[in-house]
Amino acid sequence: MNGELILFFVLALVAIGSGILMLNLTKVVHMVIALVFTFLSIAGLYVMLSAEFVAFVQVLIYSGAITIIMLFGIMLTRHDDKTETKIGVPRMILVLTGIVAFFVVMFFQINDLSFGEQAADLHVDNTEKIGIALYSKYVIPFELTSVLLLVALVGAIILAKRDDEDKGAEDNE
Amino acid sequence: MIEELLYSSPSLTNTLIFFGLGASLLMMVLGFVTYAILAERKVMGFMQLRIGPNRVGGPFGLLQTVADVLKLLLKEDTIPKAADRPLFMLAPVIAFAPAFMVLAVIPFSESLRFSDIGIGLLYYIAISGISTIGVLMGGWASNNKYALLGGMRSAAQMISYEVPLVMSVIGVILLTGSLNLIQIVEAQENIAFLFVQPLAFVIFMIASVAELNRTPFDLPEAESELVAGYHVEYSGFRWAFFMLTEYVYLFAMASITTILFLGGWNPVPYLEFIPGIIWFALKFSVVVFFLIWLRATLPRMRADQLMSFGWKVLLPLALLNIFISAVIKEIWF
Repeated sequence: MNGELILFFVLALVAIGSGILMLNLTKVVHMVIALVFTFLSIAGLYVMLSAEFVAFVQVLIYSGAITIIMLFGIMLTRHDDKTETKIGVPRMILVLTGIVAFFVVMFFQINDLSFGEQAADLHVDNTEKIGIALYSKYVIPFELTSVLLLVALVGAIILAKRDDEDKGAEDNE
Repeated sequence: MIEELLYSSPSLTNTLIFFGLGASLLMMVLGFVTYAILAERKVMGFMQLRIGPNRVGGPFGLLQTVADVLKLLLKEDTIPKAADRPLFMLAPVIAFAPAFMVLAVIPFSESLRFSDIGIGLLYYIAISGISTIGVLMGGWASNNKYALLGGMRSAAQMISYEVPLVMSVIGVILLTGSLNLIQIVEAQENIAFLFVQPLAFVIFMIASVAELNRTPFDLPEAESELVAGYHVEYSGFRWAFFMLTEYVYLFAMASITTILFLGGWNPVPYLEFIPGIIWFALKFSVVVFFLIWLRATLPRMRADQLMSFGWKVLLPLALLNIFISAVIKEIWF
């Protein structure tokens, strides 16, 4: 039992625990906060895998930006919404067997899985390597993604603007 | 000594040493916060032809903040009946923890630093974004319209000014070729980036004042319209935590400004005999003084002006700066 293993267990426990909390909490804002903890502990797992760049991009985009957008969305709509679900016993048993079957299959598959030799020098200049790979080997997918994002951005602006103009026209009538 | 520690293999003793170092850094920061608050009140007092605190602890009011903190600790801790209890209690923690976490990557001098990671700057930007959630949570959990308005404004402001803040440092990253804060300082050995990237520096300063929620961008806690903004329902120790967050971010932001634009611990030519840590402290103090000066001088902006300024002026300027930096790098470096 070394420090790495303890850290892994703590992070995994927080990730799974917050995930379960997110599903079981009743208030919608609490769910988002639980989601933040899941994102953060997954970022911690990335750090353990020597992928700091991915980890902190995850924190920046998911824990920071996406969560705030979700919170804004919730607050602008029905912020005190609560979930009320009732599940019958047969359905619960069915879901439970499904989960157990999935666990058994995955457990045996992962146990048999072998990745070959593990890379040992992942932590050396990895940010630089990501940059070089992104701008030389994967430059066309990268550019295409950026164009896609730009189109989405312009589309969002046009959608929002048209809504505004319609409203203005209605107001004038 | 710290360099050896950073590159040695992990062990229980190392963990304890780093824990001790972290605790001493926390004490240092708390000391800074105590005297930054006093300095702010004193400097603003002198700028407004007042004396400022002068009763507790000698003629300069040296123990004024200590007395204030003691008062806050003894104060009754109230939680409104209609508040969302768990979130109300969690919000100050979520706001403060990232504020202290970002200090881990800041190199104070060649020998005094606590980490050496390749993505230092990204770490700072990413972690400091989490505080916004704490602020928004505090505003929401208070179940008070002023608190909610303050929290929403704060989140909107921090999100919109984070964009020009990040864009403005891209010029620095381009010239250094690294996100590592130590390498950024080393790249400024001959000339500070303040002179190479003046536009980026101006954008960075404006955006950092907005990120810190200080005047002229202190709309989230505009007393005249929102009572006190997101922390209106907080009292005692929890309120102190929100204040502490604000001043620890002041510390962090002044440090990062020093590192990115003023050359960190690098000395001014012909004065190399003064040790690096003193240079860092001097530059850092100048930045803190500048921020206090701004607060005492400028009036508050309007909310719509703030947003359009951020998106329509700062962001295009930051993009222009990236373009210019790329051209400069192609030609000279």
